[in-house]
Amino acid sequence: MNRRVLHILLPLITGVLFLTAWHVAVKMSGSDIFPTPRQVLDGLGELVRQGLLLKYVVASLFRVSWGFIAAVLVGVPLGLVLGWFRPAYAALNPFIQILRPISPIAWIPVAILWFGVKDTAPVFLIFLASVFPITVSSMAAVQNMQQVYLRAAQNFGLGGLELFRRVIFPAALPQIITGIRIALGVAWLVVVAAEMIAVNSGLGYLIIDARNAGKRYDLVVAGMVMIGLIGLVLDVLVRRLEKFDEVRWGYGQR
Amino acid sequence: MSGLATITVRDCWMSFPGKEPGAEVHVLERVNLDVAQGEFVCIVGPSGCGKSTLLNIVGGFLDETRGEVYVENAVVNGPDPGRIFVFQENGVFPWLTVEQNIGFGLLSRPEAERAERVRHYIAMVGLTGFEKSYPRELSGGMRQRVEIARALAADARVLYMDEPFGALDFLTRLKMRSDLIRIWQAEKKTILFVTHDIEEAVQLADRVLVMTKRPATIQEEVKIDLPRPRDLDSPGYLAARDRIFSIMGMDAHGGGG
Amino acid sequence: MKLIRTLAIVLTAWLLGITALHGGLNLRWFAKKTGGSAGEKTFGVGFLPVTCHLTCPVTHYINKEMEGRDMFQPMRFNAFPELKEMFLGRPKEMPATFILAPMAMALREQGVKIKIVHLGHRDGSAVMVHKDSGIFQTADLRGKTVAIPGRYANQRLILYRELRKVGMTFDDIKVIEMPPPDMPAALLSRSVDAITSGEPFMAQTELDGYGRVLWQAKDVWPGFISCVLAVHEDAIRDHRPEIQLLVNGIASSGKWIDESMTHRMDAAQFVATNYYNQNPRLLSFVLSKPPDRVTYSRLKPMRPEFEEIERLAKEAGILQGTAHFEDYVDDTFAPDPTTVQAPHFEVKK
Repeated sequence: MNRRVLHILLPLITGVLFLTAWHVAVKMSGSDIFPTPRQVLDGLGELVRQGLLLKYVVASLFRVSWGFIAAVLVGVPLGLVLGWFRPAYAALNPFIQILRPISPIAWIPVAILWFGVKDTAPVFLIFLASVFPITVSSMAAVQNMQQVYLRAAQNFGLGGLELFRRVIFPAALPQIITGIRIALGVAWLVVVAAEMIAVNSGLGYLIIDARNAGKRYDLVVAGMVMIGLIGLVLDVLVRRLEKFDEVRWGYGQR
Repeated sequence: MSGLATITVRDCWMSFPGKEPGAEVHVLERVNLDVAQGEFVCIVGPSGCGKSTLLNIVGGFLDETRGEVYVENAVVNGPDPGRIFVFQENGVFPWLTVEQNIGFGLLSRPEAERAERVRHYIAMVGLTGFEKSYPRELSGGMRQRVEIARALAADARVLYMDEPFGALDFLTRLKMRSDLIRIWQAEKKTILFVTHDIEEAVQLADRVLVMTKRPATIQEEVKIDLPRPRDLDSPGYLAARDRIFSIMGMDAHGGGG
Repeated sequence: MKLIRTLAIVLTAWLLGITALHGGLNLRWFAKKTGGSAGEKTFGVGFLPVTCHLTCPVTHYINKEMEGRDMFQPMRFNAFPELKEMFLGRPKEMPATFILAPMAMALREQGVKIKIVHLGHRDGSAVMVHKDSGIFQTADLRGKTVAIPGRYANQRLILYRELRKVGMTFDDIKVIEMPPPDMPAALLSRSVDAITSGEPFMAQTELDGYGRVLWQAKDVWPGFISCVLAVHEDAIRDHRPEIQLLVNGIASSGKWIDESMTHRMDAAQFVATNYYNQNPRLLSFVLSKPPDRVTYSRLKPMRPEFEEIERLAKEAGILQGTAHFEDYVDDTFAPDPTTVQAPHFEVKK
């Protein structure tokens, strides 16, 4: 009971303090461009009344879902293979390290040229942003695996695919889940950049469109708030993955 | 089958590449040993002398630089399911339960047979009631029991044990030793056991092989012909222990001699 | 493995669900198909939500209301780079677009198969300063910071021209590039001294009370050309009749807008709400105060005007001068301005 109070009450208090500080800061600066918390709330209400909030949230979630899941399906096997086979690592790792630091925003022109302005373009950008952290952490998970597990498995006569399935993959799983958690954060963060490509829906689009529409900074901040809240929910969901037995063993005692 | 040794090591040398290019670290030289079927043999020696390296070579995880290693009349090329290595720590798979771990080597057997064997060995190592527990929920001693049960369940004929009780506390170690002897007497496996603890060697082994410092060779062999369980106060026990201490250049009260 | 199985089921269900939701809410998968234009091929026309490109949505709206035809789909972009990339990469999907004249000319110089076929508007640009700044004429800009939209913006050329008139060059002022939507806030906070871009961003500062006009394009360069309608040469070759229809539509909408103030106000209303997502009040202000702040007539591309832009751009260093009027303009589509008829269209009140 106490723990629940802690986890709900404390953030609530911090939240209230933060909102008050925000309100006071805006009023004191006399700016009539930056919105107060109240104005942001009204902006959100306006979006809800117009039926836009749901549409935009769904659109962004749609793109992040496909882009991120594709990144997991590509990145985890790729990382496992690169971590295990030295020649594959030697051949491909330099290219991964070259591509990794290139911001998704830099890929926008390429995305438009290849995919136009349909949904595939932002999905591609989100995929790009997520696939590198996932691949790299899966790779590291295999390379950092305890040698003991490998030796024990080989002792029992395991090799090839069976070794992978029964030992290498389970041993690497906790670190893979960590990589997935980080990558999901990145994917959701990139949604604003990804939706700069002239799609006409989504939370990132809301922010950019509000900016173009004149003095609607209340909508800009409302978009930011929604992105932040959904990001929190996503993180909480991924952390539940850590409760599974196959993953829990790798996270130490609490 | 009777006259031939189960494990034979002939003129084994082992070197590793050193820090500088071209330099080499010589770990083992001129190692010869034999282990007969069903024997319990311990290897003792100063810290870092290479006893674990030797065990890994016999187990098939390392390749000797020179020499020959035969186990069960065949040259050792790699590890084999019939000869299971028991590690000092972390040998048990943390993502599997106790019964999943113990059944690890048995996946090719039919379901009923596997369940029965697992149940039998869980009882033998005294872990009944912990079938669904995960290794992180067990103590160090219990984890080692799981590892031993896993090796036995898979029908290993030979056990290589690399300081398996080194990470446990004193009392647990005593208990594990007596349980191991009990199991060994019941299952009649061949055991090659590495330890730095001379008392442990004398409590467990039929023969104790004493190694020198690096580059190590087997300097002497001490036969221990005492009934088990061994009485830690008996003169035979103490004599054997002191003998080994003096071979290693120390007196019974510790320190150089 | 329990984890993998659970994940596979949950994720598949989630993907199906969110895709169905997205399709239903945003992509209108489940909506009834609108009759009429079903079998027709559609062409995209790129535009930005700026007053210069007004004829694009107006043409679309009038066509849809009057004839139920949807052949030209306006495709909205937030900035010129994305618009340009779409035109370059997928000209089959978007063969026509509104674009800055110098940008179209530069693309032609770089070998892109682009042809200007019609103007977008005339005038419709200004330089704004803060009402409390001491700046009242061009010479007062010496040493000040001026924000312009970007490399190929016509505002750069008009600024160059005006500075030259008072014996100044770009070295005498500090020029920074900034996206037009951000300019009003920058002027309000006085982080820049002057801003210039197309409307409605200039008018916005006036409407909100802190901006003052330094000069308007129509006063210093009458007939100032900023944005044009450009088409890909492949579309000209393969779909000549359709392109002609588009240009006719643009020309007549322009005439319609300029015909009466009522039309202008109506246009402000339906464009701001349905296409630009801006405040209609702002657009009404731009289109009325003064009424000739921006005009949409006499939009046939003329050689002397473009050659002046070419010359200025070459001097200002943004064009090489390797492409000329016949390279980057195809004026066979644009109707003679004196013969253009506005459609008989009134917005239902």
